[in-house]
Amino acid sequence: MSGHKQRILVVDDEPQIHRFLDRALEAAGFEPVRVETGRGALSEIAHRPPDAVVLDLGLPDMDGQDVLRDLRVFYAGPVIILSARDRELEKIEALDAGADDYVEKPFGVGELLARLRVALRRHRPSKQIEVIHVGDLVIDLPRRMVTRSGEMVRLSPKEYDLLARLVEADGRVLTHKDLLVSLWGPAHAEDTQYLRVFIGQLRQKIEPDPSAPRLILTQPGVGYRFLPEDMIAT
Amino acid sequence: MNPAEPRRPDPDALLAEAAKAGRGRLKVFLGMAPGVGKTYEMLAQAARRKAEGVDVVVGVVETHGRRETEALTRDLEILARKPIEHRDRTLMEFDLDAALARRPGLLLVDEYAHSNAPGSRHTKRWQDVEELLAAGINIWTTLNVQHVESLVDVVWKITGVRQRETVPDSAFSRADDIELVDITPDELRQRLAEGKVYLPDTARLAATNFFKPENLTALRELALRRMALTVDDQLVAAMRQKGVEGPWAAGERIVVLVAPGPEADALVRAGKRLSDMMMDAPWTVAYIERPNKPSPDAARAAALGAAFKLADQLGGTTVVLTGDDIVRALLEYVKRNNVTQVVVGRSRRSRWRTLFGRSLVAALLEGASGAAVHVITEGGQPQIPAPRPRTSRAAFWRGEIASIGFVGIAGLIAAAVDQLHQDANLAMIFLVSVLASGLAYGFWPAVTAAALSALAYNFFFLEPRLSFVIGHATDVLTFVVFFIVAMATGWLTGRVRDQAVATSRRATAITALLAASRRLSGSAERGDTARALAEQLAAATGGQAVVLLPKGEDIAAVAGSPNLPALGPGDLAAARWTWTHGEAAGADTGTLPNAAWTFRPLQGARKRSGVAGVEAKAMREEESERFVLALLEQGAVALERAELAADAADAEALRRSDKLRSALLNSVSHDLRTPLSTVLGSATTLLEYRDSLDEAAKADLLTSIREEAERLNRYVGNLLDMTRLEGEGLDIRNDWVDVRDVLGAAADRVSRRLGGRKISRDFPSDLAFVKADTTLLEQALVNILENAVAYSPDSSTIELAAYEDRNNVVISIEDEGRGIPTSELERVFEKFRRMEESTDRGKGAGLGLAISKGFVEAMGGRIAAASPIHEGRGTRILISLPKDASAQRLSA
Repeated sequence: MSGHKQRILVVDDEPQIHRFLDRALEAAGFEPVRVETGRGALSEIAHRPPDAVVLDLGLPDMDGQDVLRDLRVFYAGPVIILSARDRELEKIEALDAGADDYVEKPFGVGELLARLRVALRRHRPSKQIEVIHVGDLVIDLPRRMVTRSGEMVRLSPKEYDLLARLVEADGRVLTHKDLLVSLWGPAHAEDTQYLRVFIGQLRQKIEPDPSAPRLILTQPGVGYRFLPEDMIAT
Repeated sequence: MNPAEPRRPDPDALLAEAAKAGRGRLKVFLGMAPGVGKTYEMLAQAARRKAEGVDVVVGVVETHGRRETEALTRDLEILARKPIEHRDRTLMEFDLDAALARRPGLLLVDEYAHSNAPGSRHTKRWQDVEELLAAGINIWTTLNVQHVESLVDVVWKITGVRQRETVPDSAFSRADDIELVDITPDELRQRLAEGKVYLPDTARLAATNFFKPENLTALRELALRRMALTVDDQLVAAMRQKGVEGPWAAGERIVVLVAPGPEADALVRAGKRLSDMMMDAPWTVAYIERPNKPSPDAARAAALGAAFKLADQLGGTTVVLTGDDIVRALLEYVKRNNVTQVVVGRSRRSRWRTLFGRSLVAALLEGASGAAVHVITEGGQPQIPAPRPRTSRAAFWRGEIASIGFVGIAGLIAAAVDQLHQDANLAMIFLVSVLASGLAYGFWPAVTAAALSALAYNFFFLEPRLSFVIGHATDVLTFVVFFIVAMATGWLTGRVRDQAVATSRRATAITALLAASRRLSGSAERGDTARALAEQLAAATGGQAVVLLPKGEDIAAVAGSPNLPALGPGDLAAARWTWTHGEAAGADTGTLPNAAWTFRPLQGARKRSGVAGVEAKAMREEESERFVLALLEQGAVALERAELAADAADAEALRRSDKLRSALLNSVSHDLRTPLSTVLGSATTLLEYRDSLDEAAKADLLTSIREEAERLNRYVGNLLDMTRLEGEGLDIRNDWVDVRDVLGAAADRVSRRLGGRKISRDFPSDLAFVKADTTLLEQALVNILENAVAYSPDSSTIELAAYEDRNNVVISIEDEGRGIPTSELERVFEKFRRMEESTDRGKGAGLGLAISKGFVEAMGGRIAAASPIHEGRGTRILISLPKDASAQRLSA
């Protein structure tokens, strides 16, 4: 729906945050909506669902995690949470509870907008990701095939599944738990060493420089992310 | 107690007065016998007080169904009684806790001498009253004069009834007011006849005896006298407080000599009465222990212990002297301590002893010059016949049989010798057996051996043989001499041996105490001291011991021997009571005697350190009792010392943290303000000169704001990390980590600040995982990288490498900067260390490397710096993280 500005609900109790974020979002072509309390956010989302939500976890009236859980009951759109550098558990909890991605405070608007765009992409009704081109790497999802410069890259089934999940997330972060459960089942939710091994192997096979990964990025303490920027999807 | 110096107030009196502040006032309605109307009078006065507006509550009042008394209670608030189950009956007892909670202005508690039902907090009501007074509640109570402890013997003499429910004199003397409820004996007898006097059923039989006119008269006089004495005491106390010179006898000291046995407590009471008569002269109860005599049996020792406790209760001191000769030991004590009055009981020695030795009294009268001797002739209860000590019975028979054996052997040897030599002096051989018996088994076996030897010698070796007749005259002399010598030898060696045994026992006890003392002083830490004390107590008493130390507002068991015991709620209650009141509680005491343990306070020099508990034992030797008390004292002091040591360490830590804090404040002040000034400056420039600045300038200023804001963010992050390291809030969440991953992430984070610098990576394709906290490790690496960036030139390379050896995974970060002088290398990881010429922007506050070190070490790793590394330049930081033993390398 071109021409229609996407409404972004920003939930934060700090007026200063709204001050610059409103301008940034407008300049970037969005329509910002400002709310300063958890209850206010839930009410707004229920009555006039926005296209995306940016949620600060440190709200005065409710615990941000509770707001997230409550809104996920009736809202399926993208939610980006604002967290802080050392609060890993908080981020993981929010991601597992249904947040799409996170941004650490203090942040630059570029970072927030990038994540926002990534999250919005995912919810685009039409486009389904099928084939990805990155440099000389081609990832063909429907055919379960990966080639580099035309040559086949041999991936074991598990490695492929891992890659597929990351790619489908389309730049969003996936928590360790998320990946482990979907690949190995709930019994292995804590076995991060498996994950690391497979990520390592995957990197060896598809990264141009495995020691300086560009495709599969580590979010320390939280999870992994596939290529947030300059991805070309067809 | 010191006699008051002229016109200076007696410090003890002042202290006593001060101790009274905050306590409730106690008024005792004293009567000479049941039925004089004490309860009635108390209630009547209470009603008047209530009318005046005082908050009066009835704690417990026994009306015994008398209507007039009951009528008086109708208008007063009455506390509900507490039901206590005891042997299928439910007794309704006074509810102490309810009274404490209610906190009335005036509480009426009848029958001061009442014994509480088992299961109550205290055994006696006067102890309940003590607690109430300490809580600041005023109490009125009633008491009959015969319930006063020190008057028990006198009352018994008067009435023939021995009071069982008594109140210690101290509990009586501490009353602030005593009101005598007095009626004439005739009036009382009239009341009795009219049935107005309540008597428990069992007493009815004795009533006729009790209420004889002469008894009542005597009791009345006793009551009046006791009243007068208390009034006198109060007067004297007031005079002493003000330093007024009084008519007290200065310098009187009383010593009461007691022996283990039932008469001891009568003597103690006599001593108390004498002290009262002499204006509260200080009095001591002494027991003389004789090392070469067998220890008294359990019943007598218990009677002695009870007498000592009574002495304590009545306000006297106790002392144990040692010596073989009672008279000499006592006279020495008398001389050394300027005793002026000696109280002894009548000697109960057996007839033949009095023949051979002096009687104690006679000896005292001879030897004591300057002291008066009081002989108390009335005894206590009928004498308990002294059974032979059961424990030494076996030993006794062993010795006897052995002595018979020795004599037998001597006989055989003598017979052998006799075959060889006709004129041998065979008597000597028998003497040897006497010696052997004495040395090995003590006095009685030696004497037995002596007698047997003489008889055997006579029978077997003196002409005519095999008869007790002695043929030759010279042999008679030989025999008699032999007999005397044998007896003397036996007696001496026996005594020597017994004394040696007693001495060695004492030496063992002292050695044990010394060893215990050393162990206690050896540990400097509270927990260790408590454990050592518990072990020593357990060893000394042969049972379980526990030590409780304060924990917050409460106390908790910290150490126990052999293990930390599980204390039931009753036991804990007793322990808590001891902790708050500083007195023994639990089994064998007057408070909460149903507990399974006996608790005593550990009172150090300055304050109470804790509580020690010992399992209740039915029999405990007096000697180990003293040892235990000595241990407790030692333990208390050791605990106090451990606490002081801990306090000193805390003070030192505080001093160090103060130093750090000032460094921190300096850093914060500078390092927070600098980037902020840039931000403010740049922003205001943009605002003011917006129009005159060109685009490049604006972009530059804005970039500057961004950079400085990021720098500030990093700095705040460092401060937070530092705080977490310093406090104990470092939450380490270890997980399997691929260090190459974390290095990559760290490098990404610093990428924007690299400028022209390059980062090179040297990683193996296979690297073991380590268990580490990703966030902490990443931050540690970021700090090192930032440092490397700050101190290396713009076009240099920073090399990241990772490799493993047998036990560790090693991370190496190398830069091509200036390097660190060798002298500084050690201290580069200290807080707030900055290189001297810090001119570049972006340098941290000197916290970065310290944080890295803290984080790495918290994860169990090590960090080190090496410099220079190449051609006199460069720095290398190495981090090694241990490979977990269970680390698995899963190959592709």
